Amino acid sequence: MFIVGLLGWWYGAGWRERTRMIGERLAKAYDFFSLDLLVKTLFAPFRQISAGRVRGSLDVQIRAFFDRLLSRCIGAIVRSIMLVVGTVWILTLAIAGLVEAVLWLFVPFFPIVGAVMFAIGWVPHAGL
Amino acid sequence: MQDFNFHSARAEKARINAALTLSWRIMLVVTAVGLALAGVAFFIIGSTYGWLCIGVAAVPMMILEWRRGELQDIPLGKTDSLSDQLASDVLGLLPEKPSPVAIAKAASTTPGGQFMAVRFGITMNFFSNLLHDDPDASAEVWAQARAIKEKTGSHAITGAVLAVALVRLIPGYQTLLAHMKLEDVDLEAGVRWHDHLRQLIHQHQAPRRTGGIARDWSFGYIPLLERYGHNISAEIAAGGLLQVDLEAHQQALDKMIEMFGTGGRQNAVLVGANGVGKSTLVAALAERLLDASSNLPSHLKFRQVFVLDSAALIAAAPGRGELENLIMGIISEAYSAKNIILCLDDAQLFFEEGIGSVDLANVLQPILEAGRLRMVLTMDEQRLLQIARRNPTLYNALNRVNVPPANREETLRVLQDKLLITEHQRHVIFTYHALTEAYSLSERYMHDIEMPGRAFKLLEASAGYAEGKLVTAESVQRAIEETIGVKVGVATADDEREKLLNLEDLIHERMVNQTRAVRVVSDALRRARAGVRNQDRPIGTFLFLGPTGVGKTELSKALADVYFGGEGKMIRLDLNEYVRADDVARLIADGADDPHSLTAQAMKQPFSVVLLDEIEKAHPQVLTTLLQLLDEGILRDVKNREISFRDTIVIATSNAGADRIREYIDRGYKLEQFEEQITNELISSGAFKPEFLNRFDEIVVFRPLNKKELLQVVDLILAGINKTLAAQKIVVAVDDDAKLFLVDRGYDPRLGARPMRRVVQRAVENTVAKLMLAGSAMPGQTVHLSLEDVQGVFAGEDAARQMMEPTPDE
Repeated sequence: MFIVGLLGWWYGAGWRERTRMIGERLAKAYDFFSLDLLVKTLFAPFRQISAGRVRGSLDVQIRAFFDRLLSRCIGAIVRSIMLVVGTVWILTLAIAGLVEAVLWLFVPFFPIVGAVMFAIGWVPHAGL
Repeated sequence: MQDFNFHSARAEKARINAALTLSWRIMLVVTAVGLALAGVAFFIIGSTYGWLCIGVAAVPMMILEWRRGELQDIPLGKTDSLSDQLASDVLGLLPEKPSPVAIAKAASTTPGGQFMAVRFGITMNFFSNLLHDDPDASAEVWAQARAIKEKTGSHAITGAVLAVALVRLIPGYQTLLAHMKLEDVDLEAGVRWHDHLRQLIHQHQAPRRTGGIARDWSFGYIPLLERYGHNISAEIAAGGLLQVDLEAHQQALDKMIEMFGTGGRQNAVLVGANGVGKSTLVAALAERLLDASSNLPSHLKFRQVFVLDSAALIAAAPGRGELENLIMGIISEAYSAKNIILCLDDAQLFFEEGIGSVDLANVLQPILEAGRLRMVLTMDEQRLLQIARRNPTLYNALNRVNVPPANREETLRVLQDKLLITEHQRHVIFTYHALTEAYSLSERYMHDIEMPGRAFKLLEASAGYAEGKLVTAESVQRAIEETIGVKVGVATADDEREKLLNLEDLIHERMVNQTRAVRVVSDALRRARAGVRNQDRPIGTFLFLGPTGVGKTELSKALADVYFGGEGKMIRLDLNEYVRADDVARLIADGADDPHSLTAQAMKQPFSVVLLDEIEKAHPQVLTTLLQLLDEGILRDVKNREISFRDTIVIATSNAGADRIREYIDRGYKLEQFEEQITNELISSGAFKPEFLNRFDEIVVFRPLNKKELLQVVDLILAGINKTLAAQKIVVAVDDDAKLFLVDRGYDPRLGARPMRRVVQRAVENTVAKLMLAGSAMPGQTVHLSLEDVQGVFAGEDAARQMMEPTPDE
C-alpha cells in the first residue's frame, strides 16, 4: 500500500498540486508586478502632486501642462522598466516551473538512475 | 448503516500519516539532506557514490512531500461511507474494530477532541468510565456523528463531532450536561466553532491579491494624510489585521459598497452605539476594497482607507483658523490623490465644540454635500440627532447606515473570531463558558458600550484572572466582581458561607428584634448567593411598614454594612422629594448630569441595598416608573440604557398605616394576625395601588418596640459610643436604673426610638467630655454613670423647659 499510495499520489494529485503551486507562484508574481495595470497606466502621471483641472492664467496652465508632461514621462519610464523586469521575472519563473513540473515526474526514478549511474561509474566534474 | 472500513485506501493512508510521527519526520529530513550533501561531496571528490546518495535521498524527500501534499489532511472521499467522511486525523488512529472507548481515545488526541476537552471540559477521563468497550456499540456513535455533522454543517466527522456523539451515547447525558452547565446546543455550537476556526486558518493561508507594486503609482502624494491619518488599508495589506467574519454586519458593508459604487453623495455615516463594531466595519471595508478577486467596481478597487487622527490634528493646529486650514489641506490632498476614502472615527469630534473636539461643520458640510470625496463617518445615534437638530442641512447630506448591536449568537461568533488574537497575545485559552458568561454578565453590568464590544471588553479583562492559562466562567466572574464590586458567582468561600448562614445574628448585633423582617431579607440573600433565585429580578423586594423609629431604615443600613460591605453600599432615596410627576426625570437622570439619580447610583454601584424611604409620599408617576424595577430588576435611564437592579435588595419603607399598627398592638394583637389586614386597609384607603403592592416579595410590618427592647437599643447605642471612645482608651458603663431613665427620656410614641440615640449621646458624651476636660477621666479608666449623673445632665434642661411651658392657670 505504501509504495502504491505514494506513487499513485505522485503521478496523480501530487503532480496536479505541484502544477497548481507553480501556477500560484506565477500569479503571485503577476500580482506583484501588476503588469496589466502597468500597461493600462503606462502614460499616466507618476505620483502626481496635483490633480484635476488647473485654473489660472495661461502661464499657470502651461506650467501645469509641462509639469504633468514631465510626470507622465517619468511614469512611462518607471513603468516600462518595471514591465521589463516583471516580464523577465515571470518568464524565468515560468521556465523554472516547467522544469520543476517535468522533473517531478522523474523523481521516483532517481534511486534507479542513481544505481545505474553508480554502476556505469561516470562522475560529473570529476576531480573538481 | 455502513460500518467502519479499516482497510479502505483512505484509512491506510491515514494510518501511514499517524505513523509518521514528528521524530520520524525529523529523521527523514535529516536523512534526505544528509544524503544529498553527501552526494554532492562525493561528486566533488570524484566518487560515483554520489549517484547512490542522490538517488536514495529522493526516497525520504518523496515521503515528506507526500505527507505535506496529501497525508496530513487527506481530502474526504466521494462516498458517504465512514472511511470517506471521517477526518483523517481520527481515521489514522482507529483500530480495526473500534469500540466507543477506542473512538473516544482516538478522538481525544486529535485537535478537534482536544478543542472540546479544553473549551468544554469533555476529556478522555470524562468518557473512560461511562462508555462501553464493546465494538458492537459503535454503530450508534457513528449514527450520532453523522447526524451531528449534518446538523452543524461540519466539513467532516472530526474529533469534535465524535466527542459530542460520544457524550450523547452516555445514559442520562442530559443530567451530566446540566451538571456541567451545558446544553445540547452548546456542544453543537462547539463543533461549529471548531470548524469555523479551521476555515479561518485556511482563509488566512490562502494567497492574497492586493494590487501589486504599481497599484498606487497613478495616484497623488499624500504627505499630510500620512502624518495625520492612519492607513488601515496598508495595515491590512501587510497582514497586520485579522478581520473577523462579520456576518452580522454584512448588510451594512454591502450598503456602503453600494453607496460608493454608484453615483450620489459619496459618504456613509455608520450609526451605532459604542462597541457595536463600527471601526471593525471600516476595517472590513478596507479589506474588501483591497481584495483583487472581489466583485467590486474597478473605481473602488484598491482604494485606501485613512482614519483621521483627531487628537493629532488638534494638537498640531490648536488655533481655530489653523485647524480649518489643515483639514482643508488634508481633504484637498485626499481628493487630489483620487484613491482615498477618508474616515472620521467618532465624527462628532469634528462637529461639536468641546475638550478634544472642534466644530468643523462649516468646512466639512460643503464637501459632504458635493459628494466628490468618499468619506466614512462613525458616530452614535444621539450625536447624529444632535447634529440633525443643530444643522439639518448637514444631516440631510449624510447617508445613514445603521450598525445594530449584535445578538447573543452573533456576539458569540464575533468573540470566537476575535479571541484568536487575544489568546495568541495573552497566552491564554478561553472556555466556552467564559464566552457565554461574558455575554450574560456584560449585558447586565456594562452599560456604556454595546454588544459585541462589551462582552469582548470583559473577556479581555478576564484574561488577567486566568488560572493555569485557562479563562473560565469563574475568571469572568472575578473580573466583573473586581471591576464593579458586585458578587455574581455562587458563594464558595468559607467565610462568606459562614456569614450568610449567620446573617440574622450579625444583623441583630446592631438592631433589636423585628425578627421576621430580618429573616425575610436574610433568606433572600441566601437564595441569591446559593444561585437559586430568579436571575431576572432584584435579589429581593420588600415593603417595610410601621411607625417611625422602629428600625426600618436601621435594618437596611445593617444589611448594607454586614453583607454588602459598608453603609456606603446603600443607595438611599427620600421619596418625599419626588412628589411631582416631572420628578421622574430626576429619578432616571444621566449620571453626567445628576450623579445622585437612582439610575446613576445603581450604575456605579450595582451590588447594594436600595432604600426607597417614605414611599407613600412619592407621586403615582414615580411609583409607576418603579414598577419595572420591582418586577424585572431593570430601569431605563434618560438615555434609554437598561440599568440593572438585579443585584440589589430593594427596600421601600412607609409610615402609612402606622396608627393602625399601633392600635392593633395596643389591643394585644400579634403581628401575624393583622399583617394581611393592614395591607388590605392600605389598598382600600388608596395609599397604594394593589398592582404596586403585589410587586413586592414580602410586605413586612414592623411593630413598635417595647420597653425591654428599648433597653437593648440603649445597649447598642452605648456599644457604639464605647467603640468611638476606644481611641481614648475610656470605657463608659451606665447603671441599669440610668438606662431605664434614658428609655423613658428617649422614647416618643410618635417618633419611636429615633430620639433615643440623641438622648443617650447627650447624656453620656457630654458627661465624659466634661470629665475628660476636668482631668477626672484618664485613659484606661472606666467611667460609671449612675442615675443621678444622667438625671443631672437633663435637670437644667427640664427646668428651662418648665419655665417656658405655660401653667394650666395661664
